Amino acid sequence: MHERKQPIFHLVKRGELSSKYALLIRLASILAALLAGALIFLLLGSNPIRAYGEILAGSLGRESARQRVINIAVPLLGTALAIAPCFRMKFWNIGAEGQITAGAVGATYFALTFGGKYGIFEGKEPSLLLLLMMALGAMICGAFWALIPAFFHAKWGTNETLFTLMLNYIAIGIVKWLQGGPWEGKPGSQIIPNFHASALLPKVFGVHIGWILVLLLTVLIFVYMRYTKHGYEIAVLGESMNTARYAGMNVAWITIRTMLLSGAIAGLVGFMIVSGANKTLYFGVAGGVGFTAITVAWLAQLNPFAMIVISLMLAVLEKGAGNLETVMGIPTSIADIITGVILLFMLASEFFVRYRVALGSRGLDWVRWDEGKAGVAGKEEAE
Amino acid sequence: MKKRILALILALAMVTALAACSGEAKDTGKTPESETGEAPASEMKTVKAGLVCIGDENDKGYTYNFIRATETAKAELAKKGINVEWVIKYNLIEGDPVAVANEELAEDGCAVIFNNSYGQEPAMLTVAPNFPDVQFVGLTNEGSWKDDLDNTHNAFNRIHEGRYVAGVVAGMKLQEMIESKKIKPEEAVIGYVGAYSFAEVISGYTAYFLGARSVCPSVTMKVQFVGSWSDATLEANAAQALIDQGCVLISQHSDNTTPATTAEKNGVFHTGYNADMIDAAPKASIISTRIDWTKYFVYAISAVAEGKNFDADYSHGMAEGEVVMTDLNEEIAAPGTAEKMKEVMDQIAAGTLKVFDTSKFTVDGKAVSSYTAIDMTGDFVPDEGEAIWDGEFHESAVPDLMSAPYFALRIDGITLLNEAY
Repeated sequence: MHERKQPIFHLVKRGELSSKYALLIRLASILAALLAGALIFLLLGSNPIRAYGEILAGSLGRESARQRVINIAVPLLGTALAIAPCFRMKFWNIGAEGQITAGAVGATYFALTFGGKYGIFEGKEPSLLLLLMMALGAMICGAFWALIPAFFHAKWGTNETLFTLMLNYIAIGIVKWLQGGPWEGKPGSQIIPNFHASALLPKVFGVHIGWILVLLLTVLIFVYMRYTKHGYEIAVLGESMNTARYAGMNVAWITIRTMLLSGAIAGLVGFMIVSGANKTLYFGVAGGVGFTAITVAWLAQLNPFAMIVISLMLAVLEKGAGNLETVMGIPTSIADIITGVILLFMLASEFFVRYRVALGSRGLDWVRWDEGKAGVAGKEEAE
Repeated sequence: MKKRILALILALAMVTALAACSGEAKDTGKTPESETGEAPASEMKTVKAGLVCIGDENDKGYTYNFIRATETAKAELAKKGINVEWVIKYNLIEGDPVAVANEELAEDGCAVIFNNSYGQEPAMLTVAPNFPDVQFVGLTNEGSWKDDLDNTHNAFNRIHEGRYVAGVVAGMKLQEMIESKKIKPEEAVIGYVGAYSFAEVISGYTAYFLGARSVCPSVTMKVQFVGSWSDATLEANAAQALIDQGCVLISQHSDNTTPATTAEKNGVFHTGYNADMIDAAPKASIISTRIDWTKYFVYAISAVAEGKNFDADYSHGMAEGEVVMTDLNEEIAAPGTAEKMKEVMDQIAAGTLKVFDTSKFTVDGKAVSSYTAIDMTGDFVPDEGEAIWDGEFHESAVPDLMSAPYFALRIDGITLLNEAY
């Protein structure tokens, strides 16, 4: 009478997994993602092998395309670096989008005020002085935009996720107002004029020098997180706020300091986008980079060097997707779906690195479901 | 239990297979359509043409109007032995994404690339110097006047002529309402939903108003700006606000059909832009006007196919059949509208009717005798090009002046409710 119901499967937490095995799971997830993507292409009546080929050809097949890939990867990497310290601290800053935008506004102010004026900025070449002013202005604005939620969080414990998210829309709204208001070019056009040549980042190997800046930044953030007292404090705070308090750390100040850094870097990214890529400011300046960078940071497990690889991979997908539209007539929205599927699988693989699926009841510690004891996870298997 | 898993897998496999089949079927269904060329493929000259769009055809307005023209132009060009392969990119507003799109199209072998919105041109101009053999066209913009590139072009057709005719249709309706005592003369107020206080919009609503006033002398107009080229909800709200202020007829320079449906809901009339809106609001929408881009596409693409140059700036109108009126909604139009329309259209085509006749409007109570049209120094203050001569403000007067509209006078009789935009 009391026959127990057999579950089809259950999840078992893994012990320490050998890195070889973990790698295998991650590779399998990428394979599964590609197969799922292939299914979508098939549904659309396109040849998936050709589609994947076009993604690669479109993103890596030409020098100009490779330059574009770097162009897309630069803000992704920069922003992932910006949010990494916050995430290590378990402070969920999803406001990079707004901090980038605020930084872009700061940079644009100097570009419009000084570019092409006052004698020293009238040359056809980029002006180092003006670019430094723009970068500094961007970092201050980005840091300020991050300070607001950090201050409220540190002072009154407000929810940083909602707060940083909402500030994104305010920043974008401010740019919309600037576009139609004080910085508008032709009356009624809603367009801010392109920057003067003196306010544009110079290029090295065909890509604006933002790529050198973010690579330097990668090393700096790695050192900062791994080898400095600040980095240690951030890690402790992320593991346990009480431990940090007990150790005598100033939790409020660490939170604010880390957010200032995060916002300043995001602001710098905003400067690179307006001065290097867009050559002007408009409301879509961040273009979702602030959100995609969260994925980059997570997939890289907050490791700055892994972020280089992940952001390049995403850039290849994005640039390749543009090629799908031109060559095969596949809408970019479909390419976005496939990118999303691939990311989902890769994130899911992290789950399978930590848990494994066991069939039936093997390995289950027979606690009866209806007794509700000790949850359902079953015993941990030590390997 | 293992059977259950097996069943699951089987079910999944079946769904997959089914889905794959339906995909195939769709594909084969499409093929014959694309194969119907007029001339045998061997004799056809193939040209790749790119189009960068601000929206997509789902707006049933602005971008839809362009997509329609790509199809008609393809058919026209096929008759001339030119096979045009369109590559279209959607939802690109401005900035770097627009530059990337232009670059991708150029690298993909497009010989000519059209950008359909004003805001795209600055980004387009950063790409154009790198591809001297590719022709870049900024529709509605004016870059070719100022840059020193040989491969950049502009075009915008004389839509103010169509607006004027639509205004005549609206004015006749209002006059009919006055004569049948439905409204008093001073209650003939038009509500105009405008995107921004941009010259293209100002030129449009002014032409529309002058058309209406030519048949209904007591008419006045209120303009409500939306602050967006395309936002269905805001456009509806703007229309509603205008109706609440006593407007009895709505027109629009914005991309959606919601001003038409809002007019219908409130029992007032409407004229539209870009597309026939009678389906959306059969009891309100009387007529629409639109630019037909077919001829321009055919002109530019055949020039490219033959290796010839084409004009750096271009503006045609009713005379050439490139600004057209959609079907008249005879059920609600005032009697005699069709005849009057034909008369006005013939006069415009013949050049005997001046849309912006300087004796027909005033600014701050005074007639206007001089207007500078073009800004060549880049400070957005016009500094050369006199637009008024022979008693007429010459709008989009290519080749003397540019195609991009520059009429930005605030004439008497029109009230702007919110010039913040």
